[in-house]
Amino acid sequence: MAEKIEYRGHLHDLQKDLMNDYFDQMTRSAQGEGSPAVYLLISGNPVELLRAFDLLPVYPEINALQTAVKKQALPFIQKAEELGYSTDNCAYVKADIGLFYSGNKAPMATVPPPGLLLTNYVGCNVYLHWWEHLAELTGAPIFDIDIPFLRSLDGEPSREDLQYVVRQLEELIPVLEKISGKKYDPDRLREVVQYSLETGEYWAKIKMMPQLKPAPYDAYFDAVTMMGPLYALRGTKEGRDYFRAAYEELQKRVALQEGPLPEEKYRLVIEGPPPWPYLRTFRDMFARWGAVFVASSYSTVGGLWEFGFRHDPSNPIESIAMHMLKWNLTNRNFLQRYAQLKSYVEDWNADGLVIHSVKSCRLFSAGQGDMREYFARELNVPTLLVESDLEDQRYFSPAQMRTRIDAFMESLEHHKLVGHQR
Amino acid sequence: MRYFAGVDVGSTQTKAVLVDEAGDMVAKVLVDTGSNVVKAAERAFLEAVAQAGTRREDVDYIVGTGYGRFNVTFGNDQVTEISCHAKGIAHVNPNVRTVIDIGGQDAKAIKIDATGDVKDFVMNDKCAAGTGRFLGNSAEVLNLSLDEIGPRSLEAKVPVRLSTVCTVFVETDILSHLALGRSVENILGGVHSAVAARVVALARRVGIERDVALTGGVSRNVGMVRALEHHLDVPIYVSPDAHFMGALGAALFARERAMAVAG
Repeated sequence: MAEKIEYRGHLHDLQKDLMNDYFDQMTRSAQGEGSPAVYLLISGNPVELLRAFDLLPVYPEINALQTAVKKQALPFIQKAEELGYSTDNCAYVKADIGLFYSGNKAPMATVPPPGLLLTNYVGCNVYLHWWEHLAELTGAPIFDIDIPFLRSLDGEPSREDLQYVVRQLEELIPVLEKISGKKYDPDRLREVVQYSLETGEYWAKIKMMPQLKPAPYDAYFDAVTMMGPLYALRGTKEGRDYFRAAYEELQKRVALQEGPLPEEKYRLVIEGPPPWPYLRTFRDMFARWGAVFVASSYSTVGGLWEFGFRHDPSNPIESIAMHMLKWNLTNRNFLQRYAQLKSYVEDWNADGLVIHSVKSCRLFSAGQGDMREYFARELNVPTLLVESDLEDQRYFSPAQMRTRIDAFMESLEHHKLVGHQR
Repeated sequence: MRYFAGVDVGSTQTKAVLVDEAGDMVAKVLVDTGSNVVKAAERAFLEAVAQAGTRREDVDYIVGTGYGRFNVTFGNDQVTEISCHAKGIAHVNPNVRTVIDIGGQDAKAIKIDATGDVKDFVMNDKCAAGTGRFLGNSAEVLNLSLDEIGPRSLEAKVPVRLSTVCTVFVETDILSHLALGRSVENILGGVHSAVAARVVALARRVGIERDVALTGGVSRNVGMVRALEHHLDVPIYVSPDAHFMGALGAALFARERAMAVAG
């Protein structure tokens, strides 16, 4: 079995520095210095509009997962449960509410109070209630952007859908002017959107690289490293420079034919968010088999750049609206989600599919039983479904998880040995 | 003569099997796992060596399986119980395509081909409903031994309908049926039916293809076999060694791997 020596490069270290800077900005904002904070959600986030007013984007989802990665989320979750939140509630919400009641002191930053609560995606009704609770606790105003689901079979939003979202973004502008105390400057927005365009170009190229064999990085475990800057720093020069540096580093790895593990024995696709508190353990369970993830749907929750999305500086607001409507994974119907995974399996040349179902997020996990059947039975793709949680460590049972993964890998190994792959 | 061993460390019982060069089972031993998992694995293995009338040094390769497979510290390798049950059953009956394995605290359904290659599998998660523990708790409430409950469940005239599938809450459920004057047989009929329904729902997720085999400790319970046949509406194959299928599969893997090493 492969040694579990994993790739750690400049892009990991640089990410750490940049995210630490970002968390320092949060702490300064909490101390009343620097920019006011606007809370927003990862799914199809319009961070460009905030950056154009020099407002600080704060993603409670990032705060929750950062806390979970450091295995410090459970006391916050339990605090929320003491207050009456059910064990069945989303654990991101509970970690965030527990954090609020603990003085907003997260392990990596003090979280500033919101100047505005922006619900930029309402397909998940939990988001809406989460923000309502925060509004009640903090007294901050809510601005609710209603994003219609993609209802047509081809997944194209209608002209009216687009106008509806554009109109709401235009209505958001005076609200942002008021909070930032700055006048709307279309040239400044174009400049921000230009950075996002270039960031998206690099990110899309990075996401295509694991089509090569060996994949130069793990498109799940290393991709989540790059997701922080993609949301927290998109629309800034630092963000664009980060993705250029990451792209250049990975290009060198491609030239040297280096992968994230000493040997790439299996290529897998994964659906679903990671078990953050057990990220390392979960990774090792695959790494010991020489299994590399070549594509992941989770790394597209903030946008689907590898399938063609780009921001457009000549038409900034409309391109932000298209990002939120059409190029947002969680706004897509099941057929589109299946098609995306099917493309990953086929075009990224994978040996199998792993579905990590999480208890917290019904939006993500709904339909994954059918998804398993569709891939296993209709497409004959070896498929494993495992369950735990993205935030609450009590739902991760290492022995049970390992047995399922080992059994799946044993059958893949057998397939390879006897040479009858799909 | 060279031998190959499989040690299946389950949550309740530990099984050891020795096979010879031809792959024939020459020893099988069952011990309670208890709290010292490493000791239990060692004891089962050494008893199997003694049963075969051979020596420790004549065992070429040892594979550990079951939840405690990493506690088979004297073993050469580990293979999951999913692959081992598949391997074992294909050896004793190559017509089997669906394996239902019900152990002390897990239940699984495995889809296989004639060579024992695993096509797909599903397992229960984080919940002991539909496992041996559910039957064990029920027997305890009724003050019966595990061996008694299966045959007596077959005498049920009107099986009760349990209101829970929870292994913890089944106790109060049974007590309330006793209070209502239901017979022990009717209650046991309901208990077996509840477990069968749960396991069948799990098995349908991989798709039921004949022949269907039951393995694991619960295969010794005739009431459970009948309840599963009733819910699935197909006959179920139970090998006389069904309880040892995991250990047998592990021993067969040991034999294969020893031969691969030897070239």
